[in-house]
Amino acid sequence: MNISEKSKGIIDSCRFCWMCRHICPIGNATGLERNTARARALGASLVVRGATKLKEISDNIYECTLCGACTNNCMTGWDPKVFIQELKTEIVLNGVAPDYIMGLIEKYQTTGNVYGVLACACLNDLVNNDSDVLFFAGQDAILKTPESVKNSIALLNKAGVKVSFGLDQDSSAAWWFLTGKTAETLSVATKTAEKLNQFKTVVVYDPVDYKLFLHEYKEWGIDITAKVIGFNEYLLSLIENGSLKVKNNGKAYSLQDNYAYARELDDTQTGRKLISKVGVVKDMLLIGKEANLAGQLIMAEYMPNVMTEVALNRWQNAINMDCKTIVTENPAEYLALKATTPDGYQVLSVEEMILENI
Amino acid sequence: MNDFLFTQILTELEDAVGRENCSVKEIDKVTHSVDYFWLSRMWADRGRRMPEADFVVSPKDATETSKVLKIANYYKIPVTTWGGGGGTQGGAIPLCGGILLDTKRMNKIYEVNTESMYIECGAGAIYKHVEWAANEKGYATMHYPSSLTCSTVGGFLAHRGIGVVSTKYGKIDDMVLQMEVVLPNGDIINTSSAPKHAAGPDLNQIFIGSEGTLGIITKAQIRIYVQPEVRRFRGFLFKDMHSAFVASREILQKFKPSVMRLYNEAETASLIKKIVGVEKPGAFMNIAYEGVKEIVDVEEKILLETFAKYGAEDLGSEYGEKWWKEKITFFYPGHMMDLPQMFGTMDTIAPYDKIEKIYYAMKEAIETNFPQAKFIAHFSHWYEWGSMIYDRFIIDEKDVPKDPVEAMRLHNAIWNLGVRTAIANGGVVNDHHGVGMKLGRLMKEQYGPAMQVFEGIKKSLDPNGIMNPFKLGL
Ligand SMILES: Cc1cc2nc3c(=O)[nH]c(=O)nc-3n(C[C@H](O)[C@H](O)[C@H](O)COP(=O)(O)OP(=O)(O)OC[C@H]3O[C@@H](n4cnc5c(N)ncnc54)[C@H](O)[C@@H]3O)c2cc1C
Ligand code: SF4
Ligand code: SF4
Repeated sequence: MNISEKSKGIIDSCRFCWMCRHICPIGNATGLERNTARARALGASLVVRGATKLKEISDNIYECTLCGACTNNCMTGWDPKVFIQELKTEIVLNGVAPDYIMGLIEKYQTTGNVYGVLACACLNDLVNNDSDVLFFAGQDAILKTPESVKNSIALLNKAGVKVSFGLDQDSSAAWWFLTGKTAETLSVATKTAEKLNQFKTVVVYDPVDYKLFLHEYKEWGIDITAKVIGFNEYLLSLIENGSLKVKNNGKAYSLQDNYAYARELDDTQTGRKLISKVGVVKDMLLIGKEANLAGQLIMAEYMPNVMTEVALNRWQNAINMDCKTIVTENPAEYLALKATTPDGYQVLSVEEMILENI
Repeated sequence: MNDFLFTQILTELEDAVGRENCSVKEIDKVTHSVDYFWLSRMWADRGRRMPEADFVVSPKDATETSKVLKIANYYKIPVTTWGGGGGTQGGAIPLCGGILLDTKRMNKIYEVNTESMYIECGAGAIYKHVEWAANEKGYATMHYPSSLTCSTVGGFLAHRGIGVVSTKYGKIDDMVLQMEVVLPNGDIINTSSAPKHAAGPDLNQIFIGSEGTLGIITKAQIRIYVQPEVRRFRGFLFKDMHSAFVASREILQKFKPSVMRLYNEAETASLIKKIVGVEKPGAFMNIAYEGVKEIVDVEEKILLETFAKYGAEDLGSEYGEKWWKEKITFFYPGHMMDLPQMFGTMDTIAPYDKIEKIYYAMKEAIETNFPQAKFIAHFSHWYEWGSMIYDRFIIDEKDVPKDPVEAMRLHNAIWNLGVRTAIANGGVVNDHHGVGMKLGRLMKEQYGPAMQVFEGIKKSLDPNGIMNPFKLGL
């Protein structure tokens, strides 16, 4: 198996360590022993030692959301995501990917996205190239939550910001998730960087895309010269500089920290500051870097029941602390929580929360 | 087993727990074949496959568990229960194949009862999740083992586990009210509704520590406590182990600290130096005391006066706080012993009049007979009448046989000697990690004719011997 020494080191550390199992949203949803960083590492270590085959562990490699809760919780600094992503590349290149993953890859190759859907015609009117500020909604929002795209652009317009927007906004997140660092991933990323670089500022809606631009693109040597800023930060700056007028209605909102903001980009505060502008923060027990993931759209394609369970677990956290309104920061978590909202509870995206207080 | 019968049994198990909760996939078998037992890890490290189950099932509750056990009893297939697999004694390894029953789907928090101060939960709940449920309501479980995040309620009960604040709040066997248990024949029973009574022997205590050999715990009511108003720490350095023992025994006649950890000179100079930063020679002791502030103030005064009498150097609160913060860091890869080293924790327990003798006897036995082994120890759980030794042997890579069979031979020889020395001097086979397959052979040496009580219970509850064979010496 062709994996880096770094990955081998992580595998050999994690393979007999159980310390992060409690925090894994998938393991917590399935109760399966294999849904732990240690089980993945143990399986991989046996492949490295010739005691099992790569094919035998391939399903399990795709049962990780890459949410980084394990990495964050770990005292050692080991990052299981590193070997998981390298293994995906090996799995795909060796032709032992599970059928459902091959199905998604084929769908992407024929339709341009893993969901096999077209962007909503309702977004066509928003397409323009007139501003030097690009609103990068990302594939998930464009294909799955077009209302969020409309609302977000409307909000920016209200603050006097005109934005450019296009329907083909692929950060390469899907390729990266499915195949790791392959030629296809890099090719999509390179083309996207070229597009971003035509603008002065890029406001990135989905934190998962945002962290890809800031972290992985850098690692892959793909330059982004445009100023890239997260949607939350941008909104907050518009409120703080008075461009966007909001009122505070005192309502309690609970932030569903997205892992990319909280754990990868070290930002647990911007979302909360936004809430404080329009209401009060009411936190669940597990927040910030410790927050449980609530949804992941690609995995919902091939393990929908588990992903429903993941969302329900997060709702349980909210119910236990009497958090009635959850505010999400990305489309995947918005949709997952929306589809499972218990009676008497509510889920809002960040822009919906702001819009209800204008 | 022929594949026709195998498939028949598979379909019956799928019928019992649902197809998606019954697996014969290699990944599920492999991940349930290696637990925290050094031998299983070594075997896998050398590229060998451990004994694996034929079927891996995850029932959601007692009813599904009961169905599985009925099937197993009918076909006379072994059933090994697996909680978190964090056990150190090989207890959860399916040595004879058959059915591996993973409890982690039984993880529901049914009730947080703040009137009677317990949480009712499925036995497959990871203890940290129970702690979170308590914290959400402003309470705490006060069961803080280093494996809080990896092991389950049922696993701790089955191995009689213990956490760091045990001296004040007790062991897991003190922390449970009622339990639901599925007997080997599939009957579902409940123990008495209160843990203290005179209605015969204590059913709880028959199943606590039984390591899946007498039945499967499916639900438990776990005690919760009010969060302490204050928790204070104090580090001390004793010049020798003896004065630390006498001082500690005296303190326990006066009040109960929550944490009491005494490290021998070797462990002070290694782990404590590395993680907590104590540089001086001697035996480091960390004490925590907690509760209502006024009471804690008095306890602090008593502690300082008593320990000063025995020449303990007061190191202030800083090391103790650091220790508390880092208490689980010790257990992460790279922070403690790990393969390719060989190591083992031979925890034993005894009354004060024997504990020191046992410690020195074990130390001498190991160091003399196995000069390649380092012997380090701490004493972490204390009672008014005695204390436990958490003693470890460590052998560096160069002295560990490359051949896994020889490695197993050396490993077992050290264990035999260490535990036999403990027993000969009045100690018990184990304090809180349980017996499993690791120490099963020594149970008869410990109990002699008393072993027939366990054997009698086993025979009557599990006449087909399907429950976790070759564990606990049964
Ligand atoms: C890093 C680390 C640190 C540790 N620190 C501590 C510590 O501080 N204190 C401590 O006490 N232990 C400690 N341990 C050991 C371990 O956590 C305990 O032995 C724990 O009790 C094992 O629980 P588990 O759920 O992992 O059980 P497993 O390993 O899965 O099983 C252990 C035994 O219990 C049986 N069993 C499991 N669930 C049930 C059930 N529901 N009904 C009947 N039988 C069952 C199994 O068959 C097996 O025999 C540590 C382990 C690790 C990995
Ligand atoms: S990430 Fe850290 S805590 Fe998790 S298995 Fe690896 S070493 Fe253990
Ligand atoms: S990255 Fe997230 S989903 Fe993957 S193993 Fe770690 S905690 Fe689980």
